This record gives sequence, C-alpha cells and structure tokens, in this order.
Amino acid sequence: MAITRRTFVGWLAAVAPASRAWAGARQPVLPTAPLDPALVRAVGDAVLPSALGADGMRRATDAFQTWVDGYRPEAEVNHGYGTGTITRTAADPRPRWTQQLTELEAEARRAHGKGFATIGVGDRQTLIRAAIDASAQRRPAGGRTPSANDIASGAQPQTAESLPEIARAPHVAIAVLAHFYESSEATDLCYEAEIGKNQCRPLAAQTQRPTPLARRRG
Amino acid sequence: MPRTIECDICIIGSGISAALIAEKLTEERDAKVVVVEAGDDAPSLALRPESRRRFRAYGENPWGIDHIEGLTADNIQSRSMMVGGLAMHWGGVTPRFSPEDFRVKSLYGVGNDWPMTYDDLEPFFQEAEERIGVAGEQGPKALDPRSKPFPMPALPLTWNLAQLKQWTDKCEIPMWSQPSAKNSVVYGGRPVCCRNDTCSPVCPIGAKYSPDFTWNRLRSAKAIELMPRTLVKRLVVAEGSNRIDRAEAVNRDRPNESLDFRAKVFVVAGGYAWSPHLLLVSRSSRFPNGVANRSGHVGKYLTGHRNVFAFISLPTRLYPGLNEQHSLVTKAFMRPPKGEKYVRHDLRVWESSVNRRPRLRGDGGRVLLGDELLSDWRARTQQATTRVRAYYDVIPDRWSELVLDDVKRSPWGDPLPKITWRDHPESVELRAHTEDRIKQLFARMAKTGDGQIMRMGVDDFQDHPAGGCRMGNDPATSVVDGYGRAHDHENLFVVGAPTCVSGGCANGTLTFLAISLRQATMIGRDFPAKRAAPKSLRTPEPHGHA
Repeated sequence: MAITRRTFVGWLAAVAPASRAWAGARQPVLPTAPLDPALVRAVGDAVLPSALGADGMRRATDAFQTWVDGYRPEAEVNHGYGTGTITRTAADPRPRWTQQLTELEAEARRAHGKGFATIGVGDRQTLIRAAIDASAQRRPAGGRTPSANDIASGAQPQTAESLPEIARAPHVAIAVLAHFYESSEATDLCYEAEIGKNQCRPLAAQTQRPTPLARRRG
Repeated sequence: MPRTIECDICIIGSGISAALIAEKLTEERDAKVVVVEAGDDAPSLALRPESRRRFRAYGENPWGIDHIEGLTADNIQSRSMMVGGLAMHWGGVTPRFSPEDFRVKSLYGVGNDWPMTYDDLEPFFQEAEERIGVAGEQGPKALDPRSKPFPMPALPLTWNLAQLKQWTDKCEIPMWSQPSAKNSVVYGGRPVCCRNDTCSPVCPIGAKYSPDFTWNRLRSAKAIELMPRTLVKRLVVAEGSNRIDRAEAVNRDRPNESLDFRAKVFVVAGGYAWSPHLLLVSRSSRFPNGVANRSGHVGKYLTGHRNVFAFISLPTRLYPGLNEQHSLVTKAFMRPPKGEKYVRHDLRVWESSVNRRPRLRGDGGRVLLGDELLSDWRARTQQATTRVRAYYDVIPDRWSELVLDDVKRSPWGDPLPKITWRDHPESVELRAHTEDRIKQLFARMAKTGDGQIMRMGVDDFQDHPAGGCRMGNDPATSVVDGYGRAHDHENLFVVGAPTCVSGGCANGTLTFLAISLRQATMIGRDFPAKRAAPKSLRTPEPHGHA
C-alpha cells in the first residue's frame, strides 16, 4: 500500500506526542509497506511445528507481522554492565524480507506453475531450504567478547546452527522461526509443560514442577 | 553573576548510594539537602511494562535517555547516567561482602585491609537491607554472619534450583537462596515479584528496588530538591582555607547560564568513574592535581572482581524459564584453606538454556523446518544445562587508574576520563593458580553430577567496579577517611563505591550502600538532630517474618 503525504503527516501527528511522553529518545516506527500476509502465512505453515495447529500457526504469523510492524531500525539497544558501547538495532529488514517473499512466489510459479501459497507444504519447504542455503549466514556486528552474562542471556555469537536475532535473520523464513521460538509458547511446547517463561506468574508457584501441557489441556 | 543555590548538604550524583544517604539524612537531621544529577529523570513506573515489552521484542534500551552523549571513556564499564544511576537496571543481587574481605592483609598477607571491619559495618548492612528491601535466606552462621534476620523471607528456590541444590549437596557445597532486592512479600509499598525475569535491565512492576522509588518519595514529601540535567563541572576551594566553597555547574537546558551550588557540606556520589573525575577536573593553580589529591591517589586503585564461568551438562531434566535470574549462592570459598596458596571466590549456580536452544540446522548441516526442528529441540532438552560462576578478587594496583585525558574532551570542553585496569603484581602472580583452582572445582562438580563441562571461560573485565577514591587512615596513601571525609577538605565527602579499598568476591552494591550509610552518620553529624522521632519515609509493610 502506497503511503500518501497526508497519511504520513497524520501518522506523525499521532505518534510524535506519545513518543515524546514515554521516552523521548526512541526512534519512531517508520511507515513501510507491510509484508504480504498471505505469503507470510504460507511460510509459517511450512516452517512452524504442526503441533501448533492451524489456529496456532495463524496466531504465530500474525504475531510476527505485529513484530515487523513495530520494528524500529537504529533504535538504541539495551546496554548493561561490562561495556560502555552503545549499539543500535539493525537496519529495517522489511525490504529484504519482502524481496525474499517475492522470490519464493516467483520460484513457485517457475517450478510448479502455481503461487507459493497454493503449493503443498513439502514443496514449500523445498523452496525455503534452497533459499536459506543460498542466503549467507550473517554474523551480528560488534566485536566485544561475550561475557558469561551475554552467553547466559542468549546474546552469544551466532553459529551456523543457531537461530539468529530476528531482525538480522538472513531470510524471512528464518525470521518467522526465530520469532516463534523466542516465545513463551514455544518453550512450553518444547518441554510439553506449562513453564510460562517471561510471563507474570505467582512467585510461590516456582517451587513446583511445571504442569504437563497435556494434563492442563485434558 | 551566576545563579546561586544555597543548601546545607549538596549531593552530587543520584545513584543508589546517594539515594540512601539522602533518605537517612532527611530522616535524622534538620538540613536542607539538594541533589544534583547530570542525567535525565527516570521514566515513571507506569511506562515500564511497555518498555519491557519492547526490550523483550526488539532488545531496545528500556530506559530512554539514560546517558549523555560525549560523556564517556575508553574502558568504562557502563554508560548509565540518569536519576537512579546504574541501579536503575541492576539485577538486584545483594550479597554482603564477607568478613574476610575487609582483612585480607591481616589474615592472609595479601592486598590491603580496610579501615573498618565487618563488625563495624554489620549494622549498616542491616540498615541497607531494610531500606531497599532484601529477601534472603540465612546461610550457615559460620559462613554468613548476621545479627538480625533479613527484612523479607527468601525468594523461594525454583523447582530447577531445588534439583540443582541436590547436586551441590552431593558436591558437599552448602548453597542457599541468593539474597536479592526483590520483594518476596509486599514491602515498601511495592508488590511481590511475579517472575517476569527481566530484573536486569527492567522490572515492569517495581518488585525490584531501584533508587527512583526513594527519590520519588523524598521529592513528594519535599524533603529534598533534586535537580536533573545539571552537570557539576568542578569544585572550587575557598580562598584562605581548604573548605570547598562551591560547585560550579551547568544546566543542560540553559548552557549559557552559570550556576553555582553553595553548601556547608559537599557529597560526591558519582560512582567509581565520575567521582574521581570530578576531583581531578577541579584542578586549579592552588590545587594543580585536583581537589582532595594531596596524596596523588585520586583515580588510583580502581578495583573489581573477575569471574570464571562454566556451563555444565547434567543428566537430569530442568525447565529453563521458571526464573532464570534467581540463583543459588555460597560463601564456602571465602577462606583459603590453611597452608594453601591464596584463593578466594564466591560461587553461584543458575538454571540455564545454553546449548538447549532451538537450532536451525541439525548435526549434518540440514536446515530443520516444521516438526523436525521441534523434535530436534525436544531431544536436546532431555538433559539439563546449569550455569556456574565464581567471582574472585583482584588485588587492585596503584596504576589501575582513572586519569584525565587531555586529548578527548566532553561537550563542555573538559578533559574526559581515561581508564586503565591493572592487576597488582600479587594478583598477576596468583591469577593462573586462582583460575585453575576454580576450573578444577567446576570439573569436580561436573564429575560428581555425572555431567560434562560444555563451555568454560574467564570474563576478563572487572565487574562491579569500585575504587578511585579509596578510604584509609593514612592521608599519604588514601583519599578519604573511613567515613568518606576527604583528608584534605573537612567539608568534602566521597561516598559509596569509589571509596572501596578492594572489590571483594561478590556483587558489590550492598557493601557500597553499607559504607555509604556509615558515611552518612558523619556527613550529618554537624547538623541538628530532628527533635521528634523521625517519621520514616520508608514504608515497609509488616510481614511477620522472624
């Protein structure tokens, strides 16, 4: 969707007072064309676990779209103990990811004569695997040796195997995965237990072994 | 003519030490207290849930404008400069230094003793714990002496930590719940921790103490005046005496207007970097090396502790995410065994998800998608990872120092600090032995648990930095006395972290607070005591904890 000058000015008027009020230092979310929702869902259906079910996959890709819409390039990143370096979030990944979705669509039409969203999940996975293998795994910028805190918090250097920081994902399919697997829901699904990571939960309950998901659902 | 603000006590800096000193002084003394802070005000508590959401989602700094462009230094450990200081995003971990930390020279012939003992400081440890609200468990008395119970019951061990405690028991290491400035019950008008698990950098509900709570109370009660965005550029000594006459400042919103603070007592509370920097940059023809620096020791003996860490795989199931910032702790290694070479360290144990996170590629390099990825992750989480870490003390060297960098200038034209960290030769000689001993301990722990070391390393920086204006009884080898009073200027105090003689083997904040509260007794001594029993601005809730 093209953004007109009037839309942009109206958006600025709405955003500016709020952003001043709550932080002052934050970069505003820039209006950029959203990712094609049908293609994002088609990617999600191919890369997310089937245990989520159709509703769960839809929820996960909608959450990813919300994340994308809220992304602020060049925003100041948290800086804690052990460093005087101020770093910023990566450049806007949307243009790169939009291009990759377009390429998946084109490749599906070339190979199968149909759009990406209409070919089978197995065929989609094949195209995505090829695209991921073709995309270079990029390492995050910055040269500081990671501390024990960095490693423990997951801010460790990327390896070829690990899921990257979402915005630095070299391919949109990896970004969908990285976003979902950061979630509390993904951790619960993996452990098949109601851990509720990073959720507000009663302190006293932390002494108990997490309830199995199946028991809760049953 | 500069605008002049007059007061009884001028506190420069608004970090956690300044907050507790101001609170104590306003409770106990009739004195007008003005607090000057270079940074911006802290965002309100109401904004923190959204700040945390963006930190979690995007990694963004949850504290808005929390540093000043151009005010930095190479090797500085943190850029936080705002109302509340670095403790706005601390982890809330509050061990006390151990009794041995204050007497390493007398006991072990290494380093330097402090001009006070643990017993001298014990009431102030307790006071600090009560003021900020610490939840803790009494460790074995012989290792963890204290005269009164913690003000709050301990944060309960998570199910994960309870499993790990069985392992450390098997290793014959007594461990207990890490004392923390996080509410296990309603305390100070703040709610109980609900395990959001982002204590550092931001607690979204205020269950973790941060200094803005104290400042907000004091400001609401009009007990102090706090002036943010006001940078003290130098202290000026009165002609004909050694008293500090005024602090020259600049209001960052009105940079062309001169602003002076005149006070009976000046308290420098700028932390380990900006406190010595202010003293040094206050140099003049009469004091060419800066104020309080007749000894030449301002900026010297920067100190901290280094750590050895490991991630250990154990053949048990844990559920990472129950409360990853909570840990077990021990003080069992604070005393070197008799007749053995000096090694002292703490030890903490956490749940961890390191090497148990989902991955994009399997062992053969194949991209994992859909159910394959989840199956691979599930298979790799059948066993547990634990994180272990030991802080060991580094004996500070005179040339572990902060000096003025005459090349790099602040936006206001003043020399910036230049920081160099250096171990004392005693520490250089001990380093390999110390780190080997800790690594051997980790290897023994792994073996006892039928586990394996997955990754082991040393963080080379010195954590919880302190020093730079160290205290001592001898004016020739220290900057301030045991109460923080400058040897050279009777109405100048330096408080908290910069006055530490050494960095100990544990997180330093509670010790910085204890010495600050002890220093406050001397800062306030010449002001009249409040006649009525002080109506405490603290509002701890009754909790029935014995």
